[in-house]
Amino acid sequence: MMGRISTTARLIATLVLALCFAACGGIQNAINPAGPNAENISRLWWLMFYVCSIVFVLVMIALLLALRKRTVEAADRVPVLEPPEESERRRRNVVISLTTITVIVLFVFLIASYSSGRSLRLNDPTKNGLSIDLTGHQWWWEVRYNDVDASNIFTTANEIHIPVGVPVMFSLRGADVIHSFWVPNLAGKKDLIPGKINTIWLQADKPGVYRGQCAEYCGLQHAKMALWVVAEPQEQFNAWRQNQTQQAVSATSDAQKRGQQVFFSTTCVMCHAINGTPAGSNVGPNLTHVGSRHMIGAATLVNTREHLAQWIKDPQTFKPGNRMPQNNLSDADLQALVEYLQSLQ
Amino acid sequence: MSHEQEQRNISHKKAQKAQKEAHADQGLSTTISDEELAEAMRQEREELEKTWARPGGVWGWFTDTDHKAIAKRYIVTAFVFFLLGGIEAALMRIQLAFPENHFLNPDRYNQIFTTHGTTMMFLFAVPIMTAFGIYFVPLMIGARDVAFPRLNVYGYFVYLIGGLLLYTAFFMNTGPDAGWFAYVPLSGPAYSPGKRVDIWAQMITFTEISALVGAVIVIGTAFKMRAPGMSLNRIPLFVWAQVVTAFMIIFAMPAVMLASSFLASDRLIDTHFFNPAEGGDAILYQHLFWFFGHPEVYIIFIPALGFISPIIVTFARRKIFGYVALVLSLISTGFIGFGLWVHHMFATPIPQMGQSFFTAASMMIAIPSGVQIFCWIATLWGSRLNIKTPLLFVLGFFAIFVLGGLTGLMLASVPLDLQIHDTFFVVAHLHYVLIGGSVFPLFGAFYYWFPKWTGRMLSERAGHLNFWLMFIGFNLVFFPMHQLGLNGMPRRVYTYLPETGWGTLNLIASIGAFVLASGVLVFIVNAVWALRAGIVAGDNPWGADSLEWSIPSPPPNYNFHNIPVVQGRYPIWQATADAPIVRGLNTKKRETLVTSVMDAQPELRFDIPGPSIWPLMVALATAVTFIVGIFTPWAFLFGAILAGITLTCWFFADPNYENKQARETGQKSEHVAPRAELQPKEV
Amino acid sequence: MSTRAVIDISGLPHHEFDTYDPVWWGNNLLLAIETSMFAILIATYFYLRQNFALWPPPVAQLTATLDPLPQLAYGTLNTLLLVLSCGPMILTDKGARQGNRGVCQIGLVICVLCGLGAIVLRSFEFSAVYFRWDSNAYGSVVWFMLGMHMMHLLVLTTESALLAIWIFTREFDMKHRVDIVTVAVYWYWVTAIWVLLYAIIYFVPRLG
Repeated sequence: MMGRISTTARLIATLVLALCFAACGGIQNAINPAGPNAENISRLWWLMFYVCSIVFVLVMIALLLALRKRTVEAADRVPVLEPPEESERRRRNVVISLTTITVIVLFVFLIASYSSGRSLRLNDPTKNGLSIDLTGHQWWWEVRYNDVDASNIFTTANEIHIPVGVPVMFSLRGADVIHSFWVPNLAGKKDLIPGKINTIWLQADKPGVYRGQCAEYCGLQHAKMALWVVAEPQEQFNAWRQNQTQQAVSATSDAQKRGQQVFFSTTCVMCHAINGTPAGSNVGPNLTHVGSRHMIGAATLVNTREHLAQWIKDPQTFKPGNRMPQNNLSDADLQALVEYLQSLQ
Repeated sequence: MSHEQEQRNISHKKAQKAQKEAHADQGLSTTISDEELAEAMRQEREELEKTWARPGGVWGWFTDTDHKAIAKRYIVTAFVFFLLGGIEAALMRIQLAFPENHFLNPDRYNQIFTTHGTTMMFLFAVPIMTAFGIYFVPLMIGARDVAFPRLNVYGYFVYLIGGLLLYTAFFMNTGPDAGWFAYVPLSGPAYSPGKRVDIWAQMITFTEISALVGAVIVIGTAFKMRAPGMSLNRIPLFVWAQVVTAFMIIFAMPAVMLASSFLASDRLIDTHFFNPAEGGDAILYQHLFWFFGHPEVYIIFIPALGFISPIIVTFARRKIFGYVALVLSLISTGFIGFGLWVHHMFATPIPQMGQSFFTAASMMIAIPSGVQIFCWIATLWGSRLNIKTPLLFVLGFFAIFVLGGLTGLMLASVPLDLQIHDTFFVVAHLHYVLIGGSVFPLFGAFYYWFPKWTGRMLSERAGHLNFWLMFIGFNLVFFPMHQLGLNGMPRRVYTYLPETGWGTLNLIASIGAFVLASGVLVFIVNAVWALRAGIVAGDNPWGADSLEWSIPSPPPNYNFHNIPVVQGRYPIWQATADAPIVRGLNTKKRETLVTSVMDAQPELRFDIPGPSIWPLMVALATAVTFIVGIFTPWAFLFGAILAGITLTCWFFADPNYENKQARETGQKSEHVAPRAELQPKEV
Repeated sequence: MSTRAVIDISGLPHHEFDTYDPVWWGNNLLLAIETSMFAILIATYFYLRQNFALWPPPVAQLTATLDPLPQLAYGTLNTLLLVLSCGPMILTDKGARQGNRGVCQIGLVICVLCGLGAIVLRSFEFSAVYFRWDSNAYGSVVWFMLGMHMMHLLVLTTESALLAIWIFTREFDMKHRVDIVTVAVYWYWVTAIWVLLYAIIYFVPRLG
């Protein structure tokens, strides 16, 4: 079937993921920039890093040199209350010079910081870019793609696809508590604050997967509130987007039909929406295309049959304290449900 | 002229006369022999000891007002909290040593990291710095006690109760779990049900009252009770640091009082300060908290700067280089420190133009810090140094704090901060500046002043071991965290996935934690051993300057028999054999000398109250108010009545309890008639 | 025979007015703390105001839209009372400096009565504000301002009453004369802060 990601492919995804993380750089790394925002900041980082390292080394050398003259017992040595004029004057000049140099270095940093900040703003696109509304929930991300044409608007969760080389505007909201949207390879972070709207734009210049993680403590499962940003060529993105706007695939096989029935007769339907069916609750992530997502549980578990089954049965094992209850389903029901959900590509 | 002006003139004239007489060739006791003089002095000391005797027993522990006793209690209590906070840190490091570790569940972990931060910031760092001020400011300025001894007792008990409140909740699994700064809405009524956050908010009230009380005492004492001759430009840098800190406490603490009160009332009585649905604002909380929170870290750091100067002066055996520059640096750090707070909020929707101001201020504050570092190195340079343990810890400060300050510049930049904010990079930075900037000097101060408190020296060898374990351990724990932050690891996570690759650095950090802990253990062993078997220290084992070293170790209850007249910035090193002394303080009643703020001219013989049970009673009333206030707002009404009653008793109680009849009446002050043979006479 | 130069302070008094006495410093430092607190509270008021198009927020009723501006009567009366009460307090202050026990006794009694009056009027001011503390952020902050200041009125009145009791029943000694002068400073401060709060609470909403 088109678009269906086989288990093998998923395993490959896992391996690639692991390798990408482990590699020098990595897919959740601020100094491995993959886009103009992160690149800009990374340059500022290296400037400050080198200058600060030099300053640190010089101060340490000065300190070590100052320790040169040593002595043993000194309690009866006459304290120097009137050091020679000449050496005091020299010291004063040195201190004044060093202070001046400090001020200059700080000014350099200030200007570098301002200009970096300005270019983050100047390139701020106001139109023709992609516009996404991101809402932070405890402990998952609600992603809504905007469009002038209402039929192109859709909602998904925890996995954001963007076309390479195109700036994307994010409009950030907090549904419950403060969260923070942070995809280090692409940009700095911005907070999602209830009652406020925050904005950030970012752009990926290289195709790939970039992992982001909530960066503002938001409760029990803050540690496992992550997301994926998948940057892909424009055509692939268009295809993905096109698919996402479609309603859910209807259940065809018996197992899938049974799975759909299980979905509607248990608590699932109370929280999850599947477009094109009566399920319309937005308490939890939208499951219309859950089968096509690489990860579940807010980018904490690879989306395989076993994982999905374990997750549905007892999400508290993976994310204790999260809002999804345990579901005591018979094995057959569970398998059918998984079959159904995996079919929702 | 008016009667009042006449009164003023009389006091003035008396003081002027006193000064003039000191400058005249007037001597003490020309008619009796040296032996009789010594005997007279000994008898006076005996009388002083009786007058200033500390009450004994359990009742005595609750009523004692001796500033040294209270300060030592603060230090021991704060150190216990330091150890508890350290254990919490060790638990966190065990959990984070391996990915997907199950040593602590998320709820327990969240309580632990919250309690760790809260303990270290509120129950350890500020109180211990206050304690050093309370112990040493009177000694360094030549006073017999602090300006408000009973208030001091109240401050300690309020602090103790606050700490007990927090830990009782923690051990009962209702510890706060919203982080040490408890952002709303997470800490609000909707997302933190139960009483966890309420307990946190009220604990803040206790520690903040205690800090404010300490600040009022430090300023009152340092301004008004200095020995004659100790004009402003002769005040020890330690005292300057304490005064600057005290002023910062006064202007910063009210903000957190409002933040925690608004939070508590949102939770308890449904106000809407932080509820966006009714016009409240989540960012308001952050402004209120950080307007306090940023000065708070300077409140913790600046007293430590006051430890460093005397230690460097003592071991370099020369006067400090750049006294004026150092004083101005302390003051400007204090000022600028109030203009930084938005740098904690760069990720919020505050307009970037406004944020840029805070980048500039956050970088500017490096200038006074830099000036101080340069002046200290200039003092050390070329001097014949004696690298004892206190100096070793100060050297450790240089290495660690400077690194932390430099990463602070990185965090000051808005764009860079947006990457490293709320990651382990910040955890690294804050520990480098707080542990490097405050804890290392604090340990240096322990080694330096332990002989003064106890009369015994700590072991030098153990001291060096202590230092190296702490230094190496500290860097092992926190240096990798810079990398972890850049590698994408956010703060306050109870675990992380193995694929992130963060495991190795976390394991190194966790191992380092145990090295650091072993250093602290060495210190404890050293202290316990030294109390019994340390080398006996004389008055001045380090050959130091500043007045606390001119009296016995440990000091007598009354501190100074004869208050000295200070002749320069270095009262011991510059003292001449015929340095004047102050005579005329009563030995049968608790009194100390009050002098003018600028030039320390004698003004009053101030009554110092003796032991009293009322500070404890008021503290208990305060405790009832705020603890029951966690559960019902009526506690405030009923608590106010209790507080009113106990304060009334305090007001009506006799401040000089050992001499109930000796209160002056009318406008005349009773004249102290010194023994005839000790009358000042013409030489 | 040894000689030692001496400064003889045995003639110095135990207490003096104003900056001589540590009590003055303690009192003013406490007032500095409270001033900071009110300053931040006022900043909070203006900060929250930014979240509202109309301040206070409008209330729709069946018959008409109620104009929920705080009613002026009690607040204005209270302000007048407090400002006028500074008169007897100034006289008490002077009396303490001059050692005039009678003036202090009468003055303190009048001031305590004014304080009680202010407290009573303040209780009515709460209801003159249309909203409750739990209605919205406006209600919360205004009640908090009124409440914090009320707390100071209570402490001030109690302190004055205790001092009055002392000088009626015990000695009119220097220590307590200094205390009276200290309470006077507190009295002026409470009044000054109230004038500022009054202007803000009652007139900022009327700025349009």
